[in-house]
Amino acid sequence: MQRAEGGRTEITPEESWRTIHATLAQSQSSLYLAGTAYILLLWGAIVSVYFLAMFAIGEMAPGFEASYPWYRGPLWGVIGTLGMIGSALIGHREGSKNADYATARAAGLRVFAFWITVVAAAFLVSGTAGLWSPEGTERIPHVTIGIIALGYVLFGIMHRPALAAVGVGMAAAFYIPAYLAGDYAALGTGAGMLAVTLLGATWIHRSGRP
Amino acid sequence: MSAPEIILDETIHQPSRLRVMTMLVAQPEDGMLAYGFIQKTLGLTGGNLTTHLRKLEDAGFLAISKEFVNSRPRTWVYATQEGRRAFADYLANLERALNWPASDAVRRIAK
Repeated sequence: MQRAEGGRTEITPEESWRTIHATLAQSQSSLYLAGTAYILLLWGAIVSVYFLAMFAIGEMAPGFEASYPWYRGPLWGVIGTLGMIGSALIGHREGSKNADYATARAAGLRVFAFWITVVAAAFLVSGTAGLWSPEGTERIPHVTIGIIALGYVLFGIMHRPALAAVGVGMAAAFYIPAYLAGDYAALGTGAGMLAVTLLGATWIHRSGRP
Repeated sequence: MSAPEIILDETIHQPSRLRVMTMLVAQPEDGMLAYGFIQKTLGLTGGNLTTHLRKLEDAGFLAISKEFVNSRPRTWVYATQEGRRAFADYLANLERALNWPASDAVRRIAK
């Protein structure tokens, strides 16, 4: 078999066919994943701060929670919107390093559509489950975190296994403290989410394709 | 009487160059990919990728342009019309060599 600069010069037609298919999938995934590590860190920080703030409010200002039991909904709305805007900006910045504007935008819009669908599902499912009420508001994260974690798992299965692992880790970081840690559930979730996202972002960053 | 031999373009029919061309022709016309993005996605060294790009550029299958973005140099790579045609021919010959029905996904990128 001949050899030249850069490796093998001969491949079989079957190898060629497989190479084309594998490269198409790899190339598209790489475009979709622009900035993943940074976006993951952003959301890890947002979710952690949210749960740690909930714990702090519960400990230091229990009266506030009793007077405004619905505060979590608007709080999620604000930080969720800021998170989406931040993610779009990071995705745009990182995507523009990979491809020209039109190509990067097409990939970015697909990813954005995926996550908007996941967020909309979390919103609608919690609503149809009757949780948009003062009595149900405490249970909203039980639904939304599960659906968001599922989004990570699905996106990871399609494009990057590390993200699927992050999704499983996020679910564990929420549900284990929620059912086992009692009054310290929010503290456990905040710390657990931060640990999961830091580990996930480090893993992705070390892969060389953040 | 034996069937005529099917010849695959040897400029493209090499693993790394085939992967580079696949990435480029999968983009819309005029779509450009950054040199660094191709390198990371394919896991090639800079020297290796440059060698293959030069070979494909010499054949007229791709073009390279450089620009400064925020005072930083950025190298863009894109498939030329000739490159897209050559890749379409390569796929057609590959289909004949394999004697399989082509999948829609691969047909699409040949257009």
